[in-house]
Amino acid sequence: MSRRRLLIPLLLLTLASFTAPASAQDPRLEAAKKEGKVVWYTSLALSSSEKVAKMFETAYPGVKVEVNRTGSQRILQRMMQELQSNIRNVDVVHTSDAGHFVLLKEKKLLMHYTPAGVDAFAAGFKDRDGFHYGLRATVNVIAYNTKLVTAAEAPRTWKDLLDPKWKGKLVTAHPGYSGVIATHVLALVHLYGWDYFKALAQNKPMLVQSAVDPSGIVASGERPVAVNGGDYTFYQAKKKGNPVEIVFPKEGVPLVVSPSAITSFAPHPNAARLFTDFIFTRDVQQVLADTEGLYTGHPGVKYGSDRPKLQDLKLLPVDPEELEKRNEEIKSRFVEFFGA
Amino acid sequence: MPGVTITGLARRFGDVAAVAGLDLAVRPGELVALLGPSGCGKTTTLRLVAGFLAPEAGEIRVGDRVLSSPTAVIPPERRRMAMIFQSYALWPHMTVAQNVAYGLRWGDVPRSERERRVEEMLRVVQLAGYGGRYPGELSGGQQQRVAVARALVVEPEILLLDEPLSNLDASLREEMRFEIRRLHEQFGITTIYVTHDQAEAMVISDRVAVLQHGRVAQIGTAAEIFERPRTRFVAEFIGRTNLIDGVADGPRSVTRGRLQVLVAAEGLAHGAPAVVSIRPHQISLEPAAVPDTPTGSSTPHGVNRWAGLVTRASYLGDAVDYQVTLAESDVVLRVSGPAPPRVGAGQAVVLTVPRGACVLLPAAD
Amino acid sequence: MADAAAARLRRFHGIDRAAPVWILAAAALLLLILLPLGWLAYLSVGGEHGFTLAHYARVFSDLPLRRALWNTVVLAFWSGLLALAIGAPLAWLSARTDLPGRRLIQRLILASFVTPPFLGAFAWVMLAGPNAGYLNRLYRGLTGAEGPLLNIFTMPGLIFVVAIYTFPYVYIMIANTLGLIASDLEDAASILGAGRLQVARTITLPMVLPAVVSGFILAVLQALALFGSPAILALPAGFHTVTTQLWAFFQYPPRVEMAAAFSIPLLLATALLLLAQKQLLGRRGYAAIGGKGAARRPIPLGRWRIPALAMVLAVLACAVFLPYGILLKAAFSRAWAQPLTWDNVTLENWSFTFLYSSTQSAIVNTIELGVLTACVGAALATLLAYVTNRKLVRGHQVLGFLALAPVVIPGVVLAVALFIAYTRPPFLLYGTLWILFLAYLTKEMPVGYSQADATLRGIHPELEEAGRILGAGRLRVLWEITAPLAKSGIIATWCFVFIGVIRELSASIILFTPNTKVMSVVIFDLKEEGQFGAIAVLGIFMLAMTFATVALMQTLLGRDVLSGRQSSGAG
Repeated sequence: MSRRRLLIPLLLLTLASFTAPASAQDPRLEAAKKEGKVVWYTSLALSSSEKVAKMFETAYPGVKVEVNRTGSQRILQRMMQELQSNIRNVDVVHTSDAGHFVLLKEKKLLMHYTPAGVDAFAAGFKDRDGFHYGLRATVNVIAYNTKLVTAAEAPRTWKDLLDPKWKGKLVTAHPGYSGVIATHVLALVHLYGWDYFKALAQNKPMLVQSAVDPSGIVASGERPVAVNGGDYTFYQAKKKGNPVEIVFPKEGVPLVVSPSAITSFAPHPNAARLFTDFIFTRDVQQVLADTEGLYTGHPGVKYGSDRPKLQDLKLLPVDPEELEKRNEEIKSRFVEFFGA
Repeated sequence: MPGVTITGLARRFGDVAAVAGLDLAVRPGELVALLGPSGCGKTTTLRLVAGFLAPEAGEIRVGDRVLSSPTAVIPPERRRMAMIFQSYALWPHMTVAQNVAYGLRWGDVPRSERERRVEEMLRVVQLAGYGGRYPGELSGGQQQRVAVARALVVEPEILLLDEPLSNLDASLREEMRFEIRRLHEQFGITTIYVTHDQAEAMVISDRVAVLQHGRVAQIGTAAEIFERPRTRFVAEFIGRTNLIDGVADGPRSVTRGRLQVLVAAEGLAHGAPAVVSIRPHQISLEPAAVPDTPTGSSTPHGVNRWAGLVTRASYLGDAVDYQVTLAESDVVLRVSGPAPPRVGAGQAVVLTVPRGACVLLPAAD
Repeated sequence: MADAAAARLRRFHGIDRAAPVWILAAAALLLLILLPLGWLAYLSVGGEHGFTLAHYARVFSDLPLRRALWNTVVLAFWSGLLALAIGAPLAWLSARTDLPGRRLIQRLILASFVTPPFLGAFAWVMLAGPNAGYLNRLYRGLTGAEGPLLNIFTMPGLIFVVAIYTFPYVYIMIANTLGLIASDLEDAASILGAGRLQVARTITLPMVLPAVVSGFILAVLQALALFGSPAILALPAGFHTVTTQLWAFFQYPPRVEMAAAFSIPLLLATALLLLAQKQLLGRRGYAAIGGKGAARRPIPLGRWRIPALAMVLAVLACAVFLPYGILLKAAFSRAWAQPLTWDNVTLENWSFTFLYSSTQSAIVNTIELGVLTACVGAALATLLAYVTNRKLVRGHQVLGFLALAPVVIPGVVLAVALFIAYTRPPFLLYGTLWILFLAYLTKEMPVGYSQADATLRGIHPELEEAGRILGAGRLRVLWEITAPLAKSGIIATWCFVFIGVIRELSASIILFTPNTKVMSVVIFDLKEEGQFGAIAVLGIFMLAMTFATVALMQTLLGRDVLSGRQSSGAG
């Protein structure tokens, strides 16, 4: 209750800070232009990342965004490998594995920076120490191809996927590549234990890497049912006219909040700060919600009626610290069951 | 044992006529050598006879079977021939015995019989006991004998040899010439033998066919070819010769300037151009005995006598090679005489040539 | 006395001036190869407490690792066999019979030869994915069946795709050997009564057998080293090969010691196979060059013409027509799995791909690296070939051996070794294009060296001796006499290296960083995103670059690329 009363003034404040004249940004813009670019390691789907980058470049001509998109696990791997060789390349890092940021914070690799207007965000989107903030959120869902599976036959729960009738008809993404999927695996381990995945492996799902991939697989009909994947990817496919339908399983959906942070060694710190502020503004967040189908922490973002709101869903949250600690286990046991 | 009859054979490669209207009749059991410079068509003719090439015109018969014609060619494996290649073409992955036995596998010869015939043939070529070796382990001469054995063991109707001795060194070549001749006399197979070495052709063959530009220029025994060449080309190709271009001035003589030559021909048309060929070894050379010996030429009793000056005398060990300029003439003759030299350069000599040694050639060739 | 001393002095000066060049080239080679391998060996036995064989123990005891090893053996053996079954008959048909359209067929086989296998694997996913694959949908549409006709995401599927892109090695080896067998040997058999097929069976086949086995070994070696095809086809099916497993070791946290230890079995296997191949070709070298080399009589196929042609076309369809077709379709479609109707056709993929920032820098990187590696590689290879051919230094055989040695090292293993060597002082090259350059240079050295060696063999030493006796020094002679004569061969070397670099994946995938991406890596990345349209576009672009280079080589030099002999008669 009290939140709603604070909401409007907070909203106004946020709007105000965003529409404040460019003069407030000028010193940083100049410095950013001098730096010339911001290097962004992002696990957000390529088209979405490119769109955000173009929006920034239009708003701030003279500062380029170098988009390096790959899976969350790979991003971390790249960063650590580069650091080991004394390469300082990345300014802003954004993955879907909350555990990563626990690790990075521990290793003092993050810059303490709070983007403008972010205190109004929902609780789960903010690091209490102020090093990283949730850029977007998605939930893991089940999806199916409507041309190959009727609504009546479609699985309604995570447990339904274990039915042998789905043998050879499933596709799963990989926690070894994707943070979204790592979160999914941990959430389901909490629900049903590792036996769940042992049983799921019996149905011989096709293995893909990125959490973005299953939507393409289902849309093309290569496999009729996806056992995980970010809901926003299926939503986008559906909007493009593909025969894809989403199922929010009854047991609940694993919530994946994807943090973003600036690195402590960023070679282009001013551009990084400028960029970070930009991506947390309402306009960008609204774009993420509208065209990309993502959930965000921004209170001012309006969602279409064709999707359930976050608060209406039964969410299965996952503790980032646990995600970080059990990362190895998640990856190796998955490989153990699924083969690769 | 059939003979080979080739009539009007022709074959081109691109723009070049390798064989251009070749006629040849090889009698049964005869060994005919195809002799000529490179490019004369002898190998092409051989390959046409073997059936590796098809003729564009003409016919090849063996006995009365037509084997090759422009419309149909019986493939090599059914022609009942054998061939010995310049490179011997021994199969390196087979032993000597397996090489020799190869042709016997495609007939109706039972295995035991095959082995016996192989052993027999190896004995004939003096390679008894070598059956288990590989061609790579043999010397050049031994490899050649394996090739011979392989060809003879199948008892072919026609035997073809494509310069089989040219890869051997000189002394071995001489030895093998006689060996091949001996084998021919022993087995009596109709044989065609291609070579560019005239000494070889003359030693080995019954008759020599000299080829030029894809045709037979002349065919005959070694003696016929040598002593009575019928064209300028043959005269120059076989042995060395002196050629005198002149004009007939009587039924039996030819003149060039002030030189008169009695020739071994009759009924020459007065004024017709003529070429005379005289072999160097058929000219006798005497030092001009007395200063008042008649100079110029004379022809006592049908023998040519000419005065001349020696311009060079080269000592060759077993012979002497003289170069003599004839008196009152531009003709220079090569004379071959016995060692030791009887005259030196600058000395006057008298040359004697019987008219039989002056062969008339057609003026055009 | 004075004369002798003066002569010796002159000789000394002559050698002195040229020597540093050779020594430098030799040193560069040694560094290139021995340094990374040394580190690899060192790390494979390195543990926290010093020397340990624990890593090797794990390699053979850990179940998933053992499975990966076994999968690799199965893949290599069967794809080698299949490549043989395809390549050998094709070579024989092409070299010995009157099969129609031989020249065209050779060109198409060349196309298969230069197609990167991972691109082919990717195209086959679109063709034979069990549900969405084009061929399967066709099959289901025609027969109304439920299940797929083909499932490319299986071991047989992987074997198939690997084989259709490695059979050209077998083809080239056998076709060339067939060409070298003196026609006399077959004519001699014919005239002794053996029919055409009997000649083929008793004479030609035994003589070409060493080449056949050698070709098989070559195909197996290629299959062992592949990364892209297994990554695309095996991982979704849930199994690893050694190469994909090595790559997996580089996930975070990287287990470099395990990677090092796991590389060694692969290295040993390739070394052994190559040794076997050398023995085979060396000892019983049946290529008998001799005789008058008369024109061969092609064996008439008669009523077997149509079946033979059908078989050839089937192979070419699998390797070239179908994959290229589907790539073109995907490049121009919005949704690759949907039929090509008017509203499905689009140029979006093209704009997306080329405006994608990674792509642009990747293309630039690829071309830069291609040109640099080709120039340095061709120069180094020519210099080395010169040193070994003219026997300029003692131990030149070792140099020749070293130049060919990298063929033993699969690309992934090389990358692991280079990673270990160059992510620590004194040469910290990781993250720059230089580490990629080193990888490519090392990997392409054998190809470059063989080509340069063949070229220099054809230049008689007397041509240089004539120059030197007139007073020109060695280097001058090399520049003014040898190099112009070797020009076409050097250009061929350049082209081979260039093509090898632009399609390289297995080393690049381990050594790249976001700043130093190359085209093959971008294609691989896009695969992980499921961006089929973009992959097709980039793939076509890469193929176009390759074909342009091949065409350039063929027009400039008038040579028959596959056979390595001059197609015209011009020297």
